[in-house]
Order: sequence, then structure tokens, then C-alpha cells
Amino acid sequence: MPNNKLDILVLLRESSDPRPPACVTTRGAAISDRGLRHVPNPADLAALEEALHLKDTLAAQVTVLVIGPERLDDTLRLAFSMGADRGIRFRDHDMEGGDAVADARVLARITKILIPDLVFTGNHMLDRGDEPVPALAAAAAGMPCISAAVSFAPKKEWVEAERKSDRGARQTVTAPYPCTILFEEIRSPRYPSIETVTQSLNVPVEIWNLANLSLPIREIGACGAYLAEADYGAPRPDPVRVVTPDPKLPAFERILSLLSGGIKAREGKLHTLSIDDTAASLVQVFIEEGLIAEGIS
Amino acid sequence: MMFPNLFSPLKIGTVEVKNRISFQPHLTNLAVGNLPSERQMYYWGERAKGGAGLIITEELTVHPTDMSYEKLIDVYHAEVIPGFKKITDYVHQYDSKIFAQLNHNGQQGDGSISRLPVWAPSPVPDVLFREVPKAMEPEDIEEVARYFARSAIHVREGGFDGIEIQFGHSSLARQFLSPLTNHRSDEYGGSLENRMRAPLKFISAVRKAVGNDFTLGIRMCADEMIPGGLDLAQVQEICARFEATGLIDFMDLSIATFYNLYLVEGSMHTPLGYTIPLAAGIRERIKLPVFCTGRINDPVMAEKVLASGQADMIGMCRALICDPFLPKKALEGRMDDIRYCIACNQGCIGRIGMNKTLGCVQNPAVGREKEWGEGTLAQAGVKKRVTIVGGGPAGMWAAKTADRRGHAVTLIDRGEALGGQVITAMKGTGRDEFGVIIRNEKNQLDKSGVTVKLGLEATMQQLLTDKPDVVIVATGSVPKKHAVGGADGPAIFNVVQVLNGEAELGERVCLIDYDGHQRATATAEFLANQGKKVDMITSSLFICAELGPTQDLYSSRQRLLQKGVTFTPDIAVMEVGGEAGAKTVKGFNVYSNVWNEWGPYDSLVLVMGQQVDDDLYMSLKGRVPELYRIGDCVSPRKVDMAIWEGHKIGREI
Repeated sequence: MPNNKLDILVLLRESSDPRPPACVTTRGAAISDRGLRHVPNPADLAALEEALHLKDTLAAQVTVLVIGPERLDDTLRLAFSMGADRGIRFRDHDMEGGDAVADARVLARITKILIPDLVFTGNHMLDRGDEPVPALAAAAAGMPCISAAVSFAPKKEWVEAERKSDRGARQTVTAPYPCTILFEEIRSPRYPSIETVTQSLNVPVEIWNLANLSLPIREIGACGAYLAEADYGAPRPDPVRVVTPDPKLPAFERILSLLSGGIKAREGKLHTLSIDDTAASLVQVFIEEGLIAEGIS
Repeated sequence: MMFPNLFSPLKIGTVEVKNRISFQPHLTNLAVGNLPSERQMYYWGERAKGGAGLIITEELTVHPTDMSYEKLIDVYHAEVIPGFKKITDYVHQYDSKIFAQLNHNGQQGDGSISRLPVWAPSPVPDVLFREVPKAMEPEDIEEVARYFARSAIHVREGGFDGIEIQFGHSSLARQFLSPLTNHRSDEYGGSLENRMRAPLKFISAVRKAVGNDFTLGIRMCADEMIPGGLDLAQVQEICARFEATGLIDFMDLSIATFYNLYLVEGSMHTPLGYTIPLAAGIRERIKLPVFCTGRINDPVMAEKVLASGQADMIGMCRALICDPFLPKKALEGRMDDIRYCIACNQGCIGRIGMNKTLGCVQNPAVGREKEWGEGTLAQAGVKKRVTIVGGGPAGMWAAKTADRRGHAVTLIDRGEALGGQVITAMKGTGRDEFGVIIRNEKNQLDKSGVTVKLGLEATMQQLLTDKPDVVIVATGSVPKKHAVGGADGPAIFNVVQVLNGEAELGERVCLIDYDGHQRATATAEFLANQGKKVDMITSSLFICAELGPTQDLYSSRQRLLQKGVTFTPDIAVMEVGGEAGAKTVKGFNVYSNVWNEWGPYDSLVLVMGQQVDDDLYMSLKGRVPELYRIGDCVSPRKVDMAIWEGHKIGREI
């Protein structure tokens, strides 16, 4: 414990929520896109809870990092309401097309800038299992990494952790500071109170991009990736269900159902609005029809 | 890119198609001497140039007993190969793929052209051709399979990328599959296994002939839509079994049969994308690429179908007849340059069914791509000042074409908007899509250098003062005056007055129909929709007499009858009389010569023909250096001739 006060960086990631109404495509190729929700990765929340537990029992400063789009601010607000002190959201479009190595360089650089004593995150992702980025980032930053940790105790000069070993054995390991620990889901995240939720709305979120890192563009994203995308095998989508004519109906009725109910009938609406309101409602219609992307104005 | 799904490549069998747009098979009547022709090369080539990823030829007949149409290509003769090579080479230079469709129409034809009996699974005559076919003996089935194989070899030698066998709305194979037409009790009839036996023979014969490294698919009828016929559930099962053989690479789809041809080629009254539920139903069951065709006339809708996983390939037929360059324009995001098909069916199906060459109301270049296709419009040798009077389809096309050739064009119309008679026609019930003709051309005029003057009455004096080099009169036509004795007076109106809301009609209306086309029927429906009691009287054999070729007859009559309209055919109307509120119609039956009187009616609507509006033309004759008249101003016809003449004069001046 170098400064009598632990500085802990927690990485929170989001994963797809496998609970209903999300459903698997009928051929089992993938999760159906419709009704899909994103949730904070449960193992990462367990890591955050561990960090907050240390904050409660010892003196600790907890910084939460998320990497991704604006919706992740909600994850940060959750962390604030649970008790985190600082929240950073990193987002840069140049990360697109990157592989684990390229993404790890970003995380390693953030670690080098923040200089935490400990980096906490979950051991696995709920939706896709092992995720090598935190371990690779630890290696790139030259720090030890303890994976599959089930318990953790900070000592004065080193950390001690129990981790899952082969054949169900438990192994106790030690490592010097600074150190990365990947947690199993050992703790249930605390339930925030209404006061802390309200307070969390006012905590500022720091937004970082590549300029904050001084990282060369050629090292990240598609340029920095070792893997080149040769082919993207999107799962063949199942048909969006439409009313197919009921074979039990007589042909005449089937024809009628096809000519009337098969697809949405053409319809028109008359709006009598001012020019500005007309433009706004038209843009809304275009967004609903998928003709333009949201956010364009 | 606006359409990421539409412009993503698709692997079909051994070929990769660059986008998801397929120009679907359809008759062209362009073959010469039952061999592929140069006109076909340019016709299909134009669509390849326009960016369609895949082109499937019209049906090629595999056996002498199948000659349902006079101008089919006899693919079982090796003489077709040189012509095929020219076509496939021409298409391939634009990076498009081309498949050939092989077909035997079975009983859906007659022997009047081939002078041979038609062959079918059972002696069940087709509803259109009505000839009792010869029930095929087992050796006949073997022979057709051999001919399929022989034809397939010619196709492969001819440089095609794949083969589609027609199992769809008009095919011998479907007649074997369907309990409606297959009444056999031998190994080719009865159970589904037995009914599939002959079609499987055709598929495996072709697969054996072309080898495993060649793309082969079928076009299935997804639902026959007729009592006792195949429905979607049965076709799903059949498709799954065909897929399980591993012999085919894709599943193209069609719908219905000749019992309900109006579903095969849905007209303007049919909803856009009306076959999507069937394609989605098939695609649920099988993993092969599934095609969806049927009034998908714009890339936005196509993209939506693909994104929803309801099909893997979008079949466009009329959409690309109308605008061969739709794919290219969609790719470049030039949406308002696309000339959208309106499914009027007058130029394509309407002409094909009457054994004329393929055409399109909105695209005069169809079948004449060599002369009039993309890139053939030469700059005018002498640039002239051209004044066109009349902003209907004829005037707009003349203006657009002349402007592109470098002339200085002024387009004058007395109305407040461009469109001429189309503005009125699109007000008929279900005819609103007709107005797309105006939008398509107006988009082009807005981008051109044409000076458009609206709300201006062109007079002889003004034109003589302005002294343009060329005057083109496209003033159109008006409803015939004094159409029948006693027809001038209160409570008697014409179509234009009715559709433009200028007529005050009572509850009981008699519509005298000497037109037989949409002008009468869409107006009658327009009135019936207002709750009026409409009686239609015609001298034809039946109401909607002209709507057969465009596949509007069935549904138009159905809707009119459902709305309480009554039909009185065979009557020559000679006189109308009576006071307002009690008008009567007098006429005689053209067969029995018996006179009768109908009424009383509150109002009469006369659809008894048009007359030219040529006063301006006659007054200018001999007084301007170059004077032409086009469209209805020459003689009242339909919009196809107006556009044709507008385009032609634009090229010639």
C-alpha cells in the first residue's frame, strides 16, 4: 500500500443481456437483434463492489473507466451511485476495426496516465466469455495480472489473492504494486440508495479521446490491429415475421389477406403545421422509416 | 452508402453476384426466328450497364411441344449458342451475371403455333388456353428430361453463369407438383413423393449435364392461390425436399397460376411488395438464397426486405424495364433521378399478352436500346429556340429530350402545375400512382435548362411575336362535345368534371362507358366510394373490356361489384333525355336491336371519347418555320403514345 490510500481503477464493460425478451435466432446462429438490451458486465460490477468494499474498510480512491459510446454514461452513473469517486468515458472513432492487441494499447496507455495502484475488472464477459484485453494491457504496461481471483487482500508491500487453479484447486498468489486483478463474480454489487442515485446525476463525467492519450493513430484501431478482417460472417437473419396467408383458408380468402393484410397498407396523413414543425415531424418520420440515422439534424 | 444490404454481394452456387438486384425473367417477344436476337443483347445489356447484379433471361423453351408463344427461343437447338455467346459477352463486360431460364409450359399453351399436341401430367386443360393436353406417358417424361439436359449444355456452352428451371406459375413441373393438374395414378402422381418424381428428374438431368461447378436453381410457385392447388405450407415442404437433394443452389419464387394471372403480375391496385409474406414464409424453411419478386419498385423497400431477412435477393422486373439504371442511381444516392415504375401494365404485360414486342409506357427505349438506349442522345447540329405548348407527358418528354440535345427550350402550360391530363387521371380511385409519371419527369425538368412557364395561355400572337425556331404543340385532348343526342344540359357531366370535383352529382348516377378502360372504371369507383348508386352502361360485351391485358379486369370488376355498381353491356346509347333529377338513357341492344330506356337518374356521366384540342396548332400552321404536334393533340390515345411522340420529336428536331 504505497501511499496509505489505494488508488483503484475499475474497468466496466457492457455485455448483451441474455435474459428475456432477448431470444436466439431460430437456427441458433446468434442472439436476435430485436429487443436486445445491454447491461454492465456482472463480473465487472463484482470487481467494482470489491473496490468499493476496500474503500469502505481502508482508505481508497475508486476511479471507473468505460470505453465506448454515450449510452455508457449510464453505467458511470450507476458506479457513482454505488460510491465511485471519479468516472471517465473514453471514446474515439479511430478505435474502430481494432483487435484485442490494439485495444489493449489504449487501456495500457490510460493506466500509465492514471497510475493507479490496482486495476480491477471482471474475469470474463457475460456474453462472450474470456476477454484478453485487460490482461494484454497489463502486460503492455509492465504490471502483473492475477486472473480468476476469488478473494483479495492488499498488504503493505504487495497484494495477496486467491485464484482459481486447475482441477478446482485454489491457489494463493502474491504480486507487487501496481497490479491488475481480474475478478470472478465473488461479490453481489450493492443496491444504490435513492439519495446516491440523485447525487450521481450531478457528478461530472470526464470524456477522453485519443488526444488525451497522445497515442499514435497507427497503433490503434484497424491500423494497429494484427488481425485483418477478411470476411464478416454476419449470421443470416431470420425473416421478420409477417402474416403469411393461412393455408387452411380458402384460396379466395388467402388472396384477400395477401392483397390487404400482407404488408402495411399505404396510408397518408395530413399535417397542418408551421414550416419548422413540419420539417421536424418529417425528420421524425424519416427516422422511423430508417431513411436517415438518428442524430442528424 | 444508403443501401448496405442491397449492394452487398451474394454467393449463389459457384458465382458471386455483386449486388442483390436480379432482373427477373419475363417474355420480351424480341427473339427472331426462335433464336436469340441482337435486340435482346442490347435489351439485357442495358440492364447490366445499369447495375443489376444478376439477369435472368426470358423463358427458353426446351421441347418442340412447348410453343405457347410465337417468339420463344428454342434452346434445344444448338444454333442458339452463337447468339447466346454474344449476349453473355455483352452482359459480362458490365460485371453482371446472367442466368438462363429453361421451361416447358406443359398445358399452359396450345398447339396452334407448334401444330403439336401439348403435353401435361393429366388431360386437364388450362383455363386460358383451354386445349385438352395429352397425358404424358413415362417415356415422354424421360424425353423432356433429356431435352432439359441437352438445353442445359447449350446454355453452358453459350457462356451463361447459371440456369434457372421454371417450376413457377407457368410450367410443366408445377403441373406435376400440383394436385390441381396432376391426376395420375402411376408413380408420377398421388403422393407428394410421386408428384415430385418428374420435376426431380428434370433437375437431376440438368445437374448431370452441367456438372457440380455450375449454378442451378429453380423458380417455385410459392402459393397457387386456387382451391385444390398448392398452398404455402405444401410449397414449404416441397422446397425443403428440393433443398435436401443438394442439387440446387437457389430458390426463386413466383406466385399464382393462369387461374389468377392478376396475382402473377400485380397491377397498380396491388399493394407494393405483395409477395413478401410468401418469400418470408419460404425463407423460414430453407437455407438456400431466396428471391422475392412482386412490385418492389424502389431501393428503399428492397433494402428493408433484405434487412428484415425476408429474402436474400430482390427480383425487379418492371422496375428495371422502366428504368434500367435504377441500381446505379440507387448506389450513387440519386433517388430523384430514378424513373419509378407505376405498374400500369400497359406497355409491358399489356403488349406482351397481345403478342407485341415488350414496351414501357415511361420508357420508349425498351427493345430499342441500340438506337435509343443510354448514351445514344446526340447533341443537335443546330441549336434552336424551341417553344413547347402543353406540359403533359408529351410536352415534358419533348422538353427534356430537346434540352439534353442542347436546344433552348421553353415549356408553356395554361395550368398551374405540370402533368396535363395525368393530373386528372390520377384522381381516379386507385390511380394515384399514375401521378408518379409527372413526378419522374418534373424531377428531370427541374434539373434541366428548360424554362417552364405555368399559368400562361400560349396565344398565336405571342408565339408569332416571340419567333421561336420550333413550335411543338402538345395541347392534348378534351372530352368529346355533343357525344350523344341530348347530352348537353344540366346534370350531364364528363370524366374531367367529375374527377376534378367540378360536377354536382345526385345519388343515382348512370355512367355511359364507351371507353372500357380506367377512364370509365376508376371514375365509376370514384363515385361509388362517395356512396352513390352507379349504373354502368356499355356497348362492349362486358364492363372493363379493355382491362384484360393489364391484369386489372378481375380486380376492377370485383371492386365495382362489391361497391354495388351494376353493369349493363351490349347497349348502344342513342339519346339521353328527361329533366334534371330524372334523366333517362335511351338505346338498343346491339345484338337483338331491342330498344329500351333506363332511368330515372339524378345525373349522367359520359365517358364517350375524347377530341383533339388543336386550335392553336391550326392557327399556327404555315406561320412558323417549324411546327409539330404530338400526343393527344394529334389524336386522342393513351399516355404511352404521348411519351413516345414527345421523346421522338425531342430527338429529331
